[in-house]
Amino acid sequence: MTDKDMIICRCEEVTYGELVETANEYGCNARELKLRTRAGMGYCGGRTCRNMVDAVACTVTERDSKQVTLKYQPPVRPVHFGDLGAIGHD
Amino acid sequence: MADLIIIGSGPAGLSAGITAAECGLSVLILDEYLKPGGRLLGQLYEEPGGKWWNGIEETRKLEKRAAALDLDIRLGTAVSNIEKEDGLWHVYTDRETFTAPSLLLATGAAESPVAIPGWTLPGVMSVGAAQVMTNVHRVKPGSRGVIIGVSVLSSAIAMELNIAGIDVAAIALPKMNEVNKDGANPAGVMDSLLHVSHMAPSKFVQFGSKLMQNDFMKKLGITFYPKGGVKMWGIPVMLRKAVIEICGTEQVEGVILATVTTNGQVVPGSEQRIDADFVCIAGGLYPLAELIGLTGCPFHHIDELGGYVPLHNEQMETPVDGLYVAGNITGIEGAKVAMSQGVAAALSIARNFGRQGLDDILREAVEYVGETRRKAHIQFHPEVAEGRRKMQQYWEEYEAAQERIAPEEPVVEKEVLQGV
Amino acid sequence: MTERILDHSVLGKLDTSPKVSFLFNGKEYEGIENEPIAAALLANGVRTLRRHEESGSPRGIYCNIGHCFECRVTVDGVQGMRACLTPVKDGMVVTGGGQLDAPVRDWRKNNG
Repeated sequence: MTDKDMIICRCEEVTYGELVETANEYGCNARELKLRTRAGMGYCGGRTCRNMVDAVACTVTERDSKQVTLKYQPPVRPVHFGDLGAIGHD
Repeated sequence: MADLIIIGSGPAGLSAGITAAECGLSVLILDEYLKPGGRLLGQLYEEPGGKWWNGIEETRKLEKRAAALDLDIRLGTAVSNIEKEDGLWHVYTDRETFTAPSLLLATGAAESPVAIPGWTLPGVMSVGAAQVMTNVHRVKPGSRGVIIGVSVLSSAIAMELNIAGIDVAAIALPKMNEVNKDGANPAGVMDSLLHVSHMAPSKFVQFGSKLMQNDFMKKLGITFYPKGGVKMWGIPVMLRKAVIEICGTEQVEGVILATVTTNGQVVPGSEQRIDADFVCIAGGLYPLAELIGLTGCPFHHIDELGGYVPLHNEQMETPVDGLYVAGNITGIEGAKVAMSQGVAAALSIARNFGRQGLDDILREAVEYVGETRRKAHIQFHPEVAEGRRKMQQYWEEYEAAQERIAPEEPVVEKEVLQGV
Repeated sequence: MTERILDHSVLGKLDTSPKVSFLFNGKEYEGIENEPIAAALLANGVRTLRRHEESGSPRGIYCNIGHCFECRVTVDGVQGMRACLTPVKDGMVVTGGGQLDAPVRDWRKNNG
């Protein structure tokens, strides 16, 4: 297996090649890189790959040290639809 | 309704819960894991003087104190969201929603990986995973392993695997690429290890202490670093070899090692395959800020503390009213520092709750955090004190800016929370 | 072959009772009550817990503390349970997810 085919985001199976190419082509920050490739948008919410996605983005953009590069959104753990819609649930 | 909800029952959360209960607050502790103790559970190392630091025992001591105070600890309870409404925190979990005026986030750290081709194969796990499997659940992660990433954490865990009778074939660097950079640079890794040489076995210290002198010597040291590695506890620590691939079809069967230059570039033709049935990935720890990231609390990226850290002061207060932090969420340090931070946070919370006469012990508790840091046996980042100084400076700048906006009224919370 | 660490030079002897039996992908295994499902399976030499929904690549535990969700399995009919932090009980029925059908993608592959 080459580095190009190496997986970075395990949940969405986004490869190193895709991330590096996308970063170079669009000169994008971490958020844009995530939205373009889906890296960090899978089941785990990006806990595992966020620093690597961030590192790729930092090769082409400057880090904003005062703002988390990949914003956190609720829910931070997967929630069953049944629990979301449940009536009278505590 | 509890006075205080603590998220995380690791060393920081448990210590805070105990202290807060001792101050007369009603406390609820939530944790998604099946046991209390957090990352403290897996820790096992020999301290100078020959005494063992046993995380399971330390957790048991905290649990006992918590039980004596009748602390309400809900395990297996995963928090998915937190919101603040009318001065109350609402904590949403997979079981029920809890409410309290004060919230302490002691969510600890997560592991950061290095990426190696083949790292999704079963048998590849984070180094912390191997530690928990071995010391907490007492199941061998495999019979022969390779650890990728050379750091204080990975060498400590290599030793723990060794004590449990698990063969560690090598600790080596990850292959250099855009995401592995620092951890893949032999000279850089050597430098960071030398800062903690007091905890490395004598052979490494003998080799390393000569190199501390100057950059030229360091360069020389990494140039002549033995290709077969320097052995600690019988495990070769390889600073001039990198794992370039993890092999296997259905699960790990081995790794391919290659010699690297002093800058981490692979020397063509130097590849060799070694057999292994498990691989540990050691890319370091970063503060787990996902929950506090939902509150609008400001952040600063501080390398020495392990990444993005929520703004807080030495009393463990954040700029968000009723929101506190303690432990690795504030920066990567050992369990003893986390415990002392938990105590300081709880005293702050009790004081802000109107408990009288706590000013002196809070001041002492804050001093004790610093003292614990100075005496720490393991430092994850050699410049952690500098990182703490930066955070304090950011806090002071923030406070000064707030005073300029509204000298009388604290507008912090409104302003911050609108951003959610 | 993986195995339990029954006697540890610092941590002492392991208490392996009470034993429970549970099913994983239709096969019966023995575990220690309330240990995580993932630990019980690893002690039996089982590393692969599921396959990636799209590619079908095999996956096992990665972080072992509930962060990565790589070990998610279906436990007694409830999907998305983390095997690394779900205590094993007697009679539990555990299944690991497999590759899912993706008719649109497959159609594109063959006709696009």
